[in-house]
Amino acid sequence: MLRFFKGFGLLSVFLLGSVATPAQAAGDLLVAPTRVVLDGSRGTEVVLNNIGSEPATYRISLEIKRMTAAGGLDEIAEADVTPAERLALDMIAFSPRRVTLPPNQPQVIRVGVRIPEGTPPGEYRAHMLFRAVPDAAPAVAADPAKPAGNGVSIALIPIYGITIPVIIRVGNLGAEATIGEAWVGDTPDGPAFNFGLTRTGNRSVYGDIEVTRPGVSEPLLVARGIAVYPEVGAREVSLRVPPELAARLKGPVRIRYSEDRDIGGGTIDEAERVVK
Amino acid sequence: MRKFGMKRAVVGAAIAALALNAPAAHAASATATATAKILRQITLTNTSALQYATIISGATASTVQVSTAGARTCGAGLTCTGTTTAANFDVQGTDGAVVLVGGDPSVTLNGSLGGTMTSSLTYSVPNITLGATGGNFQVGGTLSVGANQTAGDYTGTFNVTANYQ
Repeated sequence: MLRFFKGFGLLSVFLLGSVATPAQAAGDLLVAPTRVVLDGSRGTEVVLNNIGSEPATYRISLEIKRMTAAGGLDEIAEADVTPAERLALDMIAFSPRRVTLPPNQPQVIRVGVRIPEGTPPGEYRAHMLFRAVPDAAPAVAADPAKPAGNGVSIALIPIYGITIPVIIRVGNLGAEATIGEAWVGDTPDGPAFNFGLTRTGNRSVYGDIEVTRPGVSEPLLVARGIAVYPEVGAREVSLRVPPELAARLKGPVRIRYSEDRDIGGGTIDEAERVVK
Repeated sequence: MRKFGMKRAVVGAAIAALALNAPAAHAASATATATAKILRQITLTNTSALQYATIISGATASTVQVSTAGARTCGAGLTCTGTTTAANFDVQGTDGAVVLVGGDPSVTLNGSLGGTMTSSLTYSVPNITLGATGGNFQVGGTLSVGANQTAGDYTGTFNVTANYQ
């Protein structure tokens, strides 16, 4: 029993300490799961954890992002959203929206969905952003090496976060995807393996890509979590690969696009391609 | 013996409180069910800052570039000292997962003694495929320094996100 109280004493000291120490360069975070799909009947939970060494305050918000033909995600300002995107923002309810966490303290964010009567069938999506709120006045450490007079010192503070898609499906939806041409190209950051994905239907497709050489069981390349969202009919997938893998990828390959392992891993499309 | 049992109960409660979504334990019967749900996760860690170090401005406007590898190119007419670094972010998650990297294309810096500067920002990659040990990306930039730029400590914030599809 005595030990228990000792432990409690330590805990309160720790709590006091954590309040007294201002957060600096705090904001490292963990988010799980990495994708949420809701059908309207019930909500879910997302876990946010402070994995930094200082306490941090996190803000949770929703934003609209649109996929580009190049496979990127463009952030859309709230003034420019379409009525369907507005509906997605309005349908998703979540709490809390702001939370202060000591190091290694997880917090459950409850996510619910309310689908208004008469909502047209379709897929509605917003992206949930988790990020640390920056300190009110970021302190710049005095630089003794800085010459007096005309010296300029710079402090750039990143406000960094994670976004995960929250997808709401209304009605009976379906979609298919087809793998297009595949090639190895050069980017400013080194070689990349590229291929096209074409989508038809009224929802997004999501799954894993596996590239294998015919007759070899070990895959050359595995890329998980690749989506084609409904706002695009086709996208390019460009994956940076090490130069030696880029060389090995050239020639005949089999590309398989399969559904998430969580829902069975069924094949969406499979194609034989000669990589140029 | 009673005391010992109580201590264990306290420890047990503490562990249960720490565990996420821990289902209620049924310890009364001889058979026990242990359930655990493993969620896919992503972590994002900032391990270095984008540092332009110290710059002494000249009579003409010029630029200082820090590449995504952290190397500095000091423009004509400027004096640059100190060690520059690119911002580095570590990402951990499911092996093979593709994470899109996004962020502001530029940032405005405000000086402690007045004056502003802008910096363009460059990202090392548009997306990363996580390996067994995760992945990382860097942010560099080009800072525009005015002619006889007001001295002082300049600060600015910029947004960076790691996005799952």
